[in-house]
Amino acid sequence: MREHIKGAVQEIANNRLKFDRPEQPQVVYPTPADQFGHVHKSQPQPSREEVFAKMDTPETKARVADLLSRYPVAQGALLEVLWLVQGMFGWVPTEGIRWAANVCSCAPAHALGVATFYTMYNHAPKGKFMLQFCRNISCAIKGAQPLIKYVENKLGIKSGETTPDGMFTILQVECLGSCGNGPMMLVNDDFATDVVNGELKMKRGTTLTEASIDRIIDWCKAHANNVPKHDVLGGTVKGHSGHPGAPGAIAKPQVPDYAPPSPVLNVKAEADEAGATLTWKGAPEFTKLVVEKKDGANWVAVGEPGVKDKAFVDAAGKVGDEYRMIATSGERVAKPSNVAVTTQKPAPVEEKVG
Amino acid sequence: MSNYYNMPKLPTENSPKVEIFVDDKAVMVPGDTNLLEALKAVGIETPHVCYHPYLPVSGNCRQCLVEQEGPRGRMLVISCYTPVAPGMKVYTPASSARVKNARKATQEFMLVNHPLDCPICDKAGECTLQENYMEAGQNEGRMRPEYGKNYHGNPEHQFIDAKGQLRGGKRVDIGPRIFLDEERCVQCDRCVRFMRSIAGDEQLQLAARADHTYITTFPGEKLDHEYDLCVTDVCPTGAMTAKYFRFQKRVWLLSHTPTVSMDDSLGANIWLDHADGKIYRMMPRCNPEVNRSWISNTTRLACLEFGKNRLPAIDMSAIKLEGKVAIVAGGECTIEDLAAIKMLAEKTGAEVFGGTFKKVGSPDGIAMSGDPMANRAGFKLMGLADDNLADLAKRASEFQTVIIVNNDVIGEGKGAADALKKIPNRIVLGAFDNETAKMATVAFGINHWSEVQGTMVNSLNMIQKLNAAPTAPDANLQPAYAVLSALAGTQFTSAFEAFKKAGEYASVLAGLSYDTIKSSGKLLEGGNA
Amino acid sequence: MAECVKVCTENFGKGAQDIEVYKKLGGYENISERLFNMSQFELIDYVQRSNLRGRGGAGFPTGMKWSFVPRGTGKPVYIVVNADEGEGGTFKDHFLMLEDPHRLIEGLIIAAWALGSRAAYIYCRGEFLPCIESLNKALNQAYAAGYLGENIMGTKFCFDIFVHRGAGAYICGEETALINSLEGQKGQPRLKPPFPAVSGAWKSPTCVNNVETIMALPWILKHDPSEYAKMGTPRAGGTKVFCISGDVKNPGVYEAPLGTPMMTMINDYAGGVVGGKLKAVLPGGSSCAPLTAEEAAVATMDYECLASMKTMFGSGAMIVINDTHNMVDLLNVLGNFYSHESCGQCTPCREGTGLLHRILNQIVAGNGHDGDVEFMQSLCGGFGGVTICPLSISLGGPVSSYSAKFRADFDEYIARNPDHAKPRVQENYRPGIFW
Repeated sequence: MREHIKGAVQEIANNRLKFDRPEQPQVVYPTPADQFGHVHKSQPQPSREEVFAKMDTPETKARVADLLSRYPVAQGALLEVLWLVQGMFGWVPTEGIRWAANVCSCAPAHALGVATFYTMYNHAPKGKFMLQFCRNISCAIKGAQPLIKYVENKLGIKSGETTPDGMFTILQVECLGSCGNGPMMLVNDDFATDVVNGELKMKRGTTLTEASIDRIIDWCKAHANNVPKHDVLGGTVKGHSGHPGAPGAIAKPQVPDYAPPSPVLNVKAEADEAGATLTWKGAPEFTKLVVEKKDGANWVAVGEPGVKDKAFVDAAGKVGDEYRMIATSGERVAKPSNVAVTTQKPAPVEEKVG
Repeated sequence: MSNYYNMPKLPTENSPKVEIFVDDKAVMVPGDTNLLEALKAVGIETPHVCYHPYLPVSGNCRQCLVEQEGPRGRMLVISCYTPVAPGMKVYTPASSARVKNARKATQEFMLVNHPLDCPICDKAGECTLQENYMEAGQNEGRMRPEYGKNYHGNPEHQFIDAKGQLRGGKRVDIGPRIFLDEERCVQCDRCVRFMRSIAGDEQLQLAARADHTYITTFPGEKLDHEYDLCVTDVCPTGAMTAKYFRFQKRVWLLSHTPTVSMDDSLGANIWLDHADGKIYRMMPRCNPEVNRSWISNTTRLACLEFGKNRLPAIDMSAIKLEGKVAIVAGGECTIEDLAAIKMLAEKTGAEVFGGTFKKVGSPDGIAMSGDPMANRAGFKLMGLADDNLADLAKRASEFQTVIIVNNDVIGEGKGAADALKKIPNRIVLGAFDNETAKMATVAFGINHWSEVQGTMVNSLNMIQKLNAAPTAPDANLQPAYAVLSALAGTQFTSAFEAFKKAGEYASVLAGLSYDTIKSSGKLLEGGNA
Repeated sequence: MAECVKVCTENFGKGAQDIEVYKKLGGYENISERLFNMSQFELIDYVQRSNLRGRGGAGFPTGMKWSFVPRGTGKPVYIVVNADEGEGGTFKDHFLMLEDPHRLIEGLIIAAWALGSRAAYIYCRGEFLPCIESLNKALNQAYAAGYLGENIMGTKFCFDIFVHRGAGAYICGEETALINSLEGQKGQPRLKPPFPAVSGAWKSPTCVNNVETIMALPWILKHDPSEYAKMGTPRAGGTKVFCISGDVKNPGVYEAPLGTPMMTMINDYAGGVVGGKLKAVLPGGSSCAPLTAEEAAVATMDYECLASMKTMFGSGAMIVINDTHNMVDLLNVLGNFYSHESCGQCTPCREGTGLLHRILNQIVAGNGHDGDVEFMQSLCGGFGGVTICPLSISLGGPVSSYSAKFRADFDEYIARNPDHAKPRVQENYRPGIFW
């Protein structure tokens, strides 16, 4: 009985398309870069299994646990965990970023954004010795560029490149925070202006010269097989109780009432015909204030100003009276303030007309 | 962007009104919102790129600058992040040359590294940069070829074009539904914020920094999420484009019909963009109470199939009602259709069944309630059963005639409704030639919901209006209410006639007219049966 | 030059990296009843009276900053030490941490007592690995000696210090960017308000202080605050660790009272200008406006005088430039630096610094045209006060001030282009045809 249906388009039977099906044939679109040629070669990356296996050591686990214990949120340790990856590989492979994201329980894309934002994470393998030259203003004044040119000529590579034998990488970096010794360079993690007694040294009053660079490069070549390695995070600290509150937990504040309660500060009293006027400096946590006046040997309370008040007037006060104030914060009563001896209020300066 | 940026506070009808001074003129604005929204409320549009009312404020485009009088004199502030304070003094370009120049300068910076490929860009015509350019009035280009451009792009996608210029990534296949043009990206990070804060799945991120910043997913992963096409809506430029709409139609040639999606019982508010009788795309229509600015891919991409596989209109005389009649109504029936069904049932003594065999899920918190029976609340309102299809399948032998309206019971039931095939007289009223239509004795083509005027009640108990897009493939097609009411003897000549009839069945609708239901819908009080 | 009291650098060269030596030199004497009997309010008032101002560059009064930190909210309070010293010409924190890490720890205990903090983070820039090693060694010793950890010296007070290694981003020296970086995000400055004192790291009250600020605290607490205040100017107390670099005989770190004349610093402390005559001085790091030789002759090194000369005191990093240098070369170095270090958040900074650098490159390469300088100046006008943080002005300021004060240098470079008088022509530009 369907003869009356003619010409209806028989494409699909259901208008509810589920486009989130897992396997859909996708058209592969070439990008213009495929047509014109890529400018940058893509870096071959180790596989996920390889990276995760390499990071799965007891030392790394202990290190990560220590790092995570420092922050109230695991993501806080992301920069440090990425450093661990760089310490292991010498650079940060893509899957290493994913590993760091897993450890710090954040999205891999977030970790990628972080890892590419900071310039000290290398995204490709570098030479055994990274010669990082400061190019910032102080070093530029002292002739950093000619020195960089000198090293580039000496090693036969340009800035950013690695020698074919994998020994040296030359990098130009921003201020190294040693402008007094400029021009300045970092050899891996060591500041160096010269070699002294077989060690790289940055000594006050010395700067990098062509001769000292020669010595540094010779030193590097001599240490090709035993590159001095620093811990990427400068060693561990023992004894800390971790961040107050484990990762993800609510961070604990300082123990309450560890310090004595705050007294009133800076109490001053000035008298005029209306009596004695007291002024003081109060803390925001005060809940009660009491003004006391010396009566013979005893202190007698004469009033309770509000905690937000700026001044208090004792109508009976006169020059020479002694006052002090006692503050209460919550349930704790602070020590009395300094004793203020009432002085005569200076007469207001009358403005002269004319 | 920081994790801690907060959603902007938007003005509502109940916002307290406060007095502020705009260009030294006192105006009353909503007091609990930001300056950008407050100025908008009094008709002053502020150009902006990164601000979006339903995304956290990140304040990085610096386009919405205004001057504010402060303790240290008049300072430039971004209006999207400045809360309204009573008595504040604000200066817009109308009175302040400084604001005008600052916006102009920001506009210029925005375009420094932006390619001038508007003629071939799909976003042209609805591009925020173009709109701002006209607004900020930059007249003379000061960039010169020698300065060069530093196109944003992933180094892995960079190439050198025929002119020797280093280019960023073009036409990057970032996901199954989206192309990314890295050069056109202006780093507003709306898409990043959408994926993180709304979709809850941080698949996108801005990598690198300074003017090398580019949008990327994690290497080797694709942007793939039920709501990922929303990033093409929030993208202010042509960086993120939807594959399905890419190069299909120039946007200024499209007409827009505001309607409601009958795909889900939330009733997402949508624009149907059509030209020459064809629907080209579906865009979310902002409704703060319902779907904000979002619609799911399922809802959106369904629009491509509205014109396909349709049943043709046939002569009404083919429909014969014999014996005991069962009427099966589907979730896509509007209130008007239901009024006609009810009238027909009263006339013929038919029994009405309703429901769906599709899986009912739970709300996803974005723009889906998970209930595929769109007008379920309308069924309840009209006193119709909304979940007794299984009952019908058991009692199928009692009936001699079944009228199935907008319900693919056979295709969706997967055997559960096969008992209906035994009913001798099977009349199917539907838009599509689906499996139910194939087993019908009479398959009667009617208008799809995108082509009818009507109303529906969504899962929030809001009554919303559907409007007819002129995209029916056959001019002879009629809406379901017209066909059903004709069967009942008195044909409704307009949707509103049917709606008035519905008011007789459901008192809460009685006082309403299409004009009193706003385009954002109307909350029904106590109408839920 | 008068011998001045050394506040931060008194232990330089004495091997104070070791806790025993440091204690012999008078270290950790403050961590005793003297501190434990003080209330938070008293201690903050004490620091306020010393007139100590933040040494990181902005010069905000430290006591006032501390008083903004709410007390008793039940939330943790964090102290973050800003050791992300990246401004060109600044290198004091590097040597302070290297030579005297225990003083920083002692200062932090004092600051934590004042603020009620239980955890402090020292955000040290990634390049300073030797400093981190020195700090970690000192922290191990301090934990072993009981100055850190739970219930310090028998009080209820608990305090931990963690060192956080950054990874190379100049912008992390901005306090909200630093907090973002500490949280494991990109170091991009946050919108303010809320200010960190109210809602900083992990939405808790956070106080960000420079290394030198914290290191001044042990001396201040040991002496009377007025003694510290009277060393400086009326509005900023104490001494300052100056970094002198560039064309001087003895560049290095020198501690001197605030208000010392600039020429005294250059001639007496640093041994005078070498290699030529004095041309310019950058008084507060690479981002400040330069002073010409005439201006330098009358300037004093303090916040007010330098502000009145339309430059800034900044971090006290003096960069001395002699007349063999062309200022355009140096500006190009800065353009490279700031365009490289922009965080990429705000449009004017992200795109504008790169554009300025490209224009400067054109000039330096001998392709300058008349009007380039005016174009740059006009671009810098678009930076003023429109971005989240002042990094864009850090380049915009120098571009404006260098080109205003040393215009001859620019003209000299532009004159190297034989076609400099011709205007740059826009490609495909055909007059009279509406595109």
